[in-house]
Amino acid sequence: MSRPYDFLTPSDLQKIGNLQVLARLVVEGFCSGLHTSPHKGFSVEFREHRQYVQGDEIRRLDWKVFGKTDRLYIREYEEETNLRATLLVDVSGSMAYAGNGISKYEYAIHLAACLAYLMLRQQDSVGLVTFDTKLRQYIPPRSRPSHLRVLLDALQQTQIGGETGLARVFHQLVPKIHRRGLLIIFSDCFSNVPELLSALAHLRHAHHEIILFQIWDRDELEFPFRQWTRFDSLETETDKRLLDPASMRAVYLENLERFRKELKDGCHRHRIDLVPMVTDKPYAEALAHYLARRMSSV
Amino acid sequence: MTFLNLIFLGGISAASIPLIIHLLHRNRFKVVKWAAMHLLEPLQRTQRRRIRLEQLLLLLVRCLIPTVLALLMARPVLTGMRSLMGAAKTSVVILLDNSYSMDVGTANRTAFIQGRDAAGRLIRALPRGSEVAVVLMGGQPTPLLDEPTFNTDRAERQLAKLQTGFGAAAVPAALEMAAGLLGKMREAHRELVVISDFQKISWADTEGADRARAAELLKKLPVPPTVTFLHISHEDQNNVSVQSLDLSRFVLGVGQKFQVRAHLKNHGDTAFPNLRVYFRVDNQERGVTQLALGPQETAQALFTHTFETPGSHVIAVEADAPDALKLDNSLLAAVPVWDRLPVLLVNGKTGRAPLEGETDFLEIALRPYSSANATLADLITTTVIEPERLHQNALKDQRVVVLANVRELYDAQLQLLEKFVRNGGGLLIFPGDRIKTAFYNTKFFNDGQGLFPARLLSLEGGLNDQDPHTSILAQRYEHPALQVFNNPRQGDLAAATVRLWYKFAEKSAAQPTASDPFVLARLGTGDPFLMEKKFGDGTVMASSVPCSAEWSNLPMRPFYLPLMQQLVTYLATKFDPPRNVDVGRPLVAVLPASLGGKTLEMTDPTGARHKLTVRSETGRALVTFSETHRPGLYLLEMPAGTNPIHFVVNTSRAESDLRQLTADQIRTAAKPFDAAVVGSWDEYQKLEQRRRYGREIWRPLLWVLLGLVVTELLLQQRIGRTR
Repeated sequence: MSRPYDFLTPSDLQKIGNLQVLARLVVEGFCSGLHTSPHKGFSVEFREHRQYVQGDEIRRLDWKVFGKTDRLYIREYEEETNLRATLLVDVSGSMAYAGNGISKYEYAIHLAACLAYLMLRQQDSVGLVTFDTKLRQYIPPRSRPSHLRVLLDALQQTQIGGETGLARVFHQLVPKIHRRGLLIIFSDCFSNVPELLSALAHLRHAHHEIILFQIWDRDELEFPFRQWTRFDSLETETDKRLLDPASMRAVYLENLERFRKELKDGCHRHRIDLVPMVTDKPYAEALAHYLARRMSSV
Repeated sequence: MTFLNLIFLGGISAASIPLIIHLLHRNRFKVVKWAAMHLLEPLQRTQRRRIRLEQLLLLLVRCLIPTVLALLMARPVLTGMRSLMGAAKTSVVILLDNSYSMDVGTANRTAFIQGRDAAGRLIRALPRGSEVAVVLMGGQPTPLLDEPTFNTDRAERQLAKLQTGFGAAAVPAALEMAAGLLGKMREAHRELVVISDFQKISWADTEGADRARAAELLKKLPVPPTVTFLHISHEDQNNVSVQSLDLSRFVLGVGQKFQVRAHLKNHGDTAFPNLRVYFRVDNQERGVTQLALGPQETAQALFTHTFETPGSHVIAVEADAPDALKLDNSLLAAVPVWDRLPVLLVNGKTGRAPLEGETDFLEIALRPYSSANATLADLITTTVIEPERLHQNALKDQRVVVLANVRELYDAQLQLLEKFVRNGGGLLIFPGDRIKTAFYNTKFFNDGQGLFPARLLSLEGGLNDQDPHTSILAQRYEHPALQVFNNPRQGDLAAATVRLWYKFAEKSAAQPTASDPFVLARLGTGDPFLMEKKFGDGTVMASSVPCSAEWSNLPMRPFYLPLMQQLVTYLATKFDPPRNVDVGRPLVAVLPASLGGKTLEMTDPTGARHKLTVRSETGRALVTFSETHRPGLYLLEMPAGTNPIHFVVNTSRAESDLRQLTADQIRTAAKPFDAAVVGSWDEYQKLEQRRRYGREIWRPLLWVLLGLVVTELLLQQRIGRTR
């Protein structure tokens, strides 16, 4: 079943300045009629009736049904999950690259906003970390609905920064996030892969679940340049390379393939969920992936 | 390498265009703020080198494309080393087939005319100062000019005069002659062109080994020539030929009836149901017959004729067939016709019963028709006398005297005989039981000065059965009188048994002269059977065996008659060289000694007249003519008042079979020579143009260009990987 939202691309949504509006639009559009929690438990959300068996708490009996049918039924409620999720958003210079659409950074911000909205709606607690070479901002997880405001403000105000130093930041994060939870990382992962993987392993060691949304621009995957081009680094100002992309393309694609494979293998090894996202893909895909993961993991 | 459109070569400068584009692009780059810098690093040096190499290659290919295009438009001509000799002087030998099969075709357009024209054009097209030799392959290979000439005009003029109709092509011999000529020629660039109809018969496989030898000769030359076979083809293979003429007798006299049997053959696949065959004598039609000749069939036509006048005559048989080759439709023969030949037989032993006399068998053998009371005329008339009656009157008008078993002669008789022989008479001597050896060995032999050719040594053999006996040695006879017996149809000389014979003393001279006696034929024991001696203008012949049947059974044998007739006619007509010869053989006429030193004219079949000087020899004069390459009638004009002498030169009729080699077979024949085969002058010219001036190479260049374009595309795809 197609939903109206499916036809909105990130660039269309770009026009919506307010992150909250955007997040709601995406999540409401995405979630309508879709979202059911598999968890049962003590909650406000009614799930079903069950016949009373000896040992059940008396207070959970549904007296109204007893009154109507003279039988003893127990009321069962959806269990309220209490997930602690932290969104880690890479704001290093490399995230600033924008091909024809929005930049990777913007995409990451939007995605983070959508996820935050979705999770807060589900009463999960959500925190936020932004980083480049070092930690920029840390907002611990809360599940209050008003917390959304805080998160979105923080996201909206972040500035793009310098070089990426994922591994170091992750190592720093380990002592900060005490309770185990879900880490959702938005990054292009442009750094030394073995170091990054060891840092991720460190996080995994602290019993965190990790979903790594690797943000790609279409240009980075396809390298569509033709004429002579000088590539200026977004992170290091002195790094400039003049070359003929046509001749470079094969090598580039080869390098890319190797890079992705290395990362993918490493993530698989550490049971990290690596989700490549291209900036022209709808946010809903990321949400769907998150939800699928959420259901299977718990 | 030369260029036809030199101006387009300037286009090569277009090769710089890709370079310029490359440099321009390098300078007009665009700037991209890029994140994935680490993916831009070529990981290994080899990779970096490969990229550089590929780049260079691509640039090279791109530069080459306009270069090749410019070359292409400049129309290059590949000449290799030949550019130096394009117009260089050449030594050319042309083998022109003028065998009579080349006469096929319509009158103005025979195969030979085509071949001759091709040769003429070839000579005309030669660069100035080139050296030419033309060898005609018909009959005996003959050079057109005495030696290779630089005067191509002269060669051309001579060529234009040529006509066909010569004998069968002698291919290996002609090729060897060409090799010899090429060896003597001077220019560095040598060529051999064979212009022929490539008839099956003259290019038969059986001669393959000979041709291969000639090819070896050609290849061993210091400068091996390039060989070309120019095939003049003709389609029409229908041909009727008169293969041969058989005359019923070998010496003809006035009034003698004789038969001519003509053998005809149809070489083609068309039947001639009403073929008319004409018989002509001295150009007058004397008979006509009609016969049917199916495909590949042979037939015979029979004509009879009687000559009324003595002298030289020509008979001809002509088949009136509408076929491709007219030349072999008629066949000629020169026939000398004799008047009466009076012969005096001196009988040394008269018999009481018939056939017991010494000369009885001989008389019958010499005039068989008269003896049989037939109406036919004999050439020879005989008079038989006894030895005592041999005197001046008896010798009057006689051409030959035969002494058979004559005991001895008186001195006067001997002088008379010597005078008779010295004046040109013939003397034939047979021994017998009556002869007085002392007389023969002294006065008659006279230490070699007398008439008798040899000393009599002893009587050999015996008349009893147990006595040794012998026979005449069968051999190949060189003497004109005995040559007929080389043909087994005339009888086998060895068939007779000789019981008694005289042994002649042979004088072994270190250097035999013409006047020395010599042996014509021998017996099986090695003793001479017949000896001959020149005496003045005349000739003496002596046999070691009698002409009667007492000592041998010679007279009972079938060859006796032709043998005696031959010996007597030989002695009567003296040496008469053959009038019908094969192509290339010399014509010889024996003339009266009075003509010595004079000049006579010989008309050849083409009508050309040749002046001949009569050579004097002892007691006679000789005329020789050796330019008999062309078959046909040759006419030797005699001084006023004497009839001319006819000669006929014949060629092998093998060429009448007009089938040609197929294209494949010609190529096979050409293989040993590494020869190129062309079918026409135009083709030859093209080939020669290419050999001489090189080949235009725009076509391969075009392929190169296409290849380059495709390479460029592939390279670009490989480097850029399509998006």
